[in-house]
Amino acid sequence: MRDGWRFKARGPALTLVLAVATAIVLGGCTARSPEAGSPSPGSSAGAGGVKVSKIAVITPEKANDFGWNQQGVEGAAAAAASVGAACIVQDGAGYGDITPILNQLAGDNPQLMLAWASGYNTVAPQVAQQTGIATVVIGAGSDAANTPGLVNDLETDAQGGAYLAGILAARTTMTGTVAIVVSAEDENWTKMSGGFIGGARSVTPGIRILYVQIGQAGYADAAGGKRVTASAIAGGADVIFGMGDGSSFGMMQAVETEPPPAGADKVWFIDVIGDKSSLDKKGIYLSSVVWDFTAIDEKAISEVEAGTFGRATYRLDLDNGIKLLRSRFIPAEVWDEIETARQGILDGSIEVPLTTTGKEVKAYLGSGK
Amino acid sequence: MDSIFTADFFAAVLSGAILAGMPLLLAALGETISEQAGLLDIGLEGTMLLGAYAGFVVTNWTGSYWVGFLAAIAAGIAVSLLMVVFCVRMGRDQIVVGIAILLSMEGLTSLLHAAQFGQSYPRLDAVPAVPIPGLSEIPVVGPSLFTQPLIVYIGVALVFVVAGLLSRTNLGLDIRAAGRTPVALDNAGVDVMKIRTVAALCTGALAGLGGGYLAIVTAGIFVPFMTGGLGFIAIVIAMLGRGRPVWVLIGSLLFGVALSVATALQLAGINVPTDVVQMLPFVTVIVALALFARQSYLPAALAQPFVRGRR
Repeated sequence: MRDGWRFKARGPALTLVLAVATAIVLGGCTARSPEAGSPSPGSSAGAGGVKVSKIAVITPEKANDFGWNQQGVEGAAAAAASVGAACIVQDGAGYGDITPILNQLAGDNPQLMLAWASGYNTVAPQVAQQTGIATVVIGAGSDAANTPGLVNDLETDAQGGAYLAGILAARTTMTGTVAIVVSAEDENWTKMSGGFIGGARSVTPGIRILYVQIGQAGYADAAGGKRVTASAIAGGADVIFGMGDGSSFGMMQAVETEPPPAGADKVWFIDVIGDKSSLDKKGIYLSSVVWDFTAIDEKAISEVEAGTFGRATYRLDLDNGIKLLRSRFIPAEVWDEIETARQGILDGSIEVPLTTTGKEVKAYLGSGK
Repeated sequence: MDSIFTADFFAAVLSGAILAGMPLLLAALGETISEQAGLLDIGLEGTMLLGAYAGFVVTNWTGSYWVGFLAAIAAGIAVSLLMVVFCVRMGRDQIVVGIAILLSMEGLTSLLHAAQFGQSYPRLDAVPAVPIPGLSEIPVVGPSLFTQPLIVYIGVALVFVVAGLLSRTNLGLDIRAAGRTPVALDNAGVDVMKIRTVAALCTGALAGLGGGYLAIVTAGIFVPFMTGGLGFIAIVIAMLGRGRPVWVLIGSLLFGVALSVATALQLAGINVPTDVVQMLPFVTVIVALALFARQSYLPAALAQPFVRGRR
């Protein structure tokens, strides 16, 4: 009985201590980089709008990932700076219930909040309703998500940039085989896969394109990224178009360390979302389909000030933030061809295929068109 | 699409199986030891993560893979000390402590990585392979199975070391008794706490090494949360292996092969839904071990704290 009493009496206490210790450790990952300050209510700007003096961005992971989170924070910071506003960054918030964090951010009285994950689409509009703060949500997928003055959806259409990457890959490959490696079946990845296939086939209709997925949600699976990419290289691919968040570092590792396939003297890597060229020590980073959110964020700020926020879904595309990174490895004539194609996409003379699921990507890949 | 099936491709598929299976093997071997001693180490994934981080950091600093592997082992042992203190010595709930260890290690490694490498993301060079004379000349199998880093051969050898330890030594007998009838072991004058402590430390060392292998050999980089559930798969393999290290080896390699075959099927453009292909490794391991590894049983005192004098 004594031992049983000890267990019952101390067990919960121990659990609590462990939980607190865990929370302290995990809390360290979500250090808010604030801008302290007392509430600064916005003054009136346009009709029905408010002057934006402060914006807040909340991201699920740390904003130093050379990817989605970093681009989100950098875009917000640049947009805020362009109008002289302050930017509060809350990164590493995770994918759980962020209601307390959003409420805390709202307490700093920003006039615009960016809820930087599709997983926040349930709670962020609720907090926007409660606080009255204009909030951008990601990938809600429907205009119905927009609420005038409160909620505005942001969709990403990066397939145009991937089309340009496909042209670059087709012009670069020496083996006639390129590979698409994705970390998961993610709509952003499938859209870009279709664009990439279309771009590569516009240059070389018979080009061989391998398509492989690391796992169901292999975003952070660097080991899987390396293993799968190594297999793609062994299958003859000498250009890898990799989409994967953390797993893309594993892809780069494979590109750097695996022997090139027969017929090629090296393997190239084309990245997405961020720019990792500063990490490229071995000269393999051919390009990246970069997502720059600055223009979209500036538009959101201007609409909050004009009182027109929440009326129409924002779309990040080749016209306002998607671009192909020009590295030193891209020959001038190839870049000219890419620029011509870019103009063609913008003026509508080139139609970029749209594939929103892995099934559609495979069907398009199998069609040979 | 048929031209993809070259000797190089098949060799890469087999190598991929080793790459994917080895971290599992090491961690599952460790879990086997602790389970046989009556400890269910749910925090195995956290142990692997710290091992991965420590192994990567030390290798990056020193340039020596072997020092990195030693650091991974040391980190794993350090984490397992938490199991020793809370579960073995204080008799706390192994599930709760294991979850706390997992969450803590996820947070700790993520925090340390962001602080140290958040702007640089250094990557390691490939670990040199050691071809086995003669065998490495065999087509396809030679360049894949018999041209591996030395740590792979050591990992396979550890299977037989652990098997021998559990079945042919007094320590192994004590470990199994600590998991099945700890009271009887105690009555025989053996310190159950000490035996379970040794088992927990062995588990930490092997899981840490598994994590180190993952970061140093498989990925060549550390990324937060990079274990992605491997620790839990290792626990499942250890449980299905039911105390038989050779079955743990088979299960781990089967998982690696199935994972690699799933990749090969995709690359070959086989028209099977990706979801089905991705299920292949898990289904294969569960079916195989459920069918063929039914002759041994989980210890009766698994996950139960031992308190001297209590029956």
